[in-house]
Amino acid sequence: MNKLYIVLLFSTVFVSNINGQNEFIARQGQISFFSYTSVENIEAKNNQVLSIIDIEKREIAISMLMRAFSFKKDLMYEHFNESYVESDIYPKSTFKGKIEDFKLVDSQTIIIRGIITIHGISKEVEIKSTIKKTKKGYLINGDFNLVVKDFKIKIPSILSKNIAKVVSVKINFQYIPYEESKN
Amino acid sequence: MKNLKIKCLFTFSFFLISIFGYSQDILSKLDKEHSKKTIYQIATFKTSRIGLGHSTELRKKGALEISLFNRFWNLEEAPEKRFIVDEVNIRFGLNYAITDNLTIGGGYSNFDKISDGFLKLKLLKQTQDSGKTPLSIVYFQGFSHRNKSDFIDNLYTPDEIVNTEVFSFVSQFLIAKKFSRDLSVQLSPTYINHNKQFFKDQPLHQFALGLGARYKINGHTSLVSEYYYNFNPGHSVATFNPFMFGVNWELSHLLLQFQATNTRHLVESAVITQTQNSFNFKDGNFHFGFNAIFVLHTKKNKI
Repeated sequence: MNKLYIVLLFSTVFVSNINGQNEFIARQGQISFFSYTSVENIEAKNNQVLSIIDIEKREIAISMLMRAFSFKKDLMYEHFNESYVESDIYPKSTFKGKIEDFKLVDSQTIIIRGIITIHGISKEVEIKSTIKKTKKGYLINGDFNLVVKDFKIKIPSILSKNIAKVVSVKINFQYIPYEESKN
Repeated sequence: MKNLKIKCLFTFSFFLISIFGYSQDILSKLDKEHSKKTIYQIATFKTSRIGLGHSTELRKKGALEISLFNRFWNLEEAPEKRFIVDEVNIRFGLNYAITDNLTIGGGYSNFDKISDGFLKLKLLKQTQDSGKTPLSIVYFQGFSHRNKSDFIDNLYTPDEIVNTEVFSFVSQFLIAKKFSRDLSVQLSPTYINHNKQFFKDQPLHQFALGLGARYKINGHTSLVSEYYYNFNPGHSVATFNPFMFGVNWELSHLLLQFQATNTRHLVESAVITQTQNSFNFKDGNFHFGFNAIFVLHTKKNKI
């Protein structure tokens, strides 16, 4: 009886482990955005983006801290956080979506469709990306465009020429099997 | 039998936990993964000066601030009135951030012939989680050399001025707290030392306390005000405590300040101890200030 119990207990652990194998995490994902205008080019990158993919359910989630974006010029970082995205009120930006036409082959083009939330406002976006199988997990690269106006980010009219109406965003994630982090 | 029941219950709950753990939303799983690194408060004042004196704000390493400070005023009895531009005092200044926590700078004001230099050192940074570090503290050390008195050829008799060349040293602790995203307040205990008396009977060691605040009215504009209380002013010449209120406006690399004040000086030592006008809107007392600060990033971050 006791033996059976132990086996049962271990099997549940094992089952939950198998479940975990479907999930892959990227802890140092990269998201960068570019705003090109004739007046000024603005470029920023976040190297600490988190993302999880669930291979079985074909789900993807992305979460990042807006304060982790770095800019070429430090004053831009302050303006970005204080005056534009207001990262004291909206510290995180998130994305949750589905991977469409995912066939688990070595390399393929996929469409990720889902809801992005920036500055407290949610929008539906479509991310054209490629997914590659690596030794440990997966690699996803993609890009999409965002309209600044959609997210109620106020730009003073005197600076409207300095900031592009449409900002292009690039994503790059390297996934490894998911294990809960210790901290 | 009872033992078995407990075991069954235990196993069941274990099973439930493992299933529950699995069915948890993947987005909420990511929330747990975010780093707990301390986030420091940014943009307490945005500009390196509140109005009259320095703020706890320091630029990041490699930033060069090119600044032009102006004070315009009318003469009390001028032969003809020009709209608050009878006289002007202009200070041209440069600041350079050697590191994120150390800035040096200097400047020259043309009307009162003051050359000045300063050093600002950040001692404490306020964190966003106010439980950790609730305040920012900056040590400010300035020195200035005043070469001429502006009233030898103006209003007062030269008898009151004993020396026309005076070195002054200003030491301040700038203590600021960003209470909310809109309101920041600064307290600045100040000690000023002069090597000679400028006015007759003026104390060589002077103490003052500054109070400054910023209130943000929208993303790029804020109302600012600053006041210095001088504990031991000289008595031979009437000096007043300096006061200013104004608007700070940020336009990407350019930071503009528009202000109404009673001081025509632009360097702390003179502002705090040598302001000879009280604050009102009469000619000769009302000063309009316009400061423009351009930030040039000499080092760009690699991203």
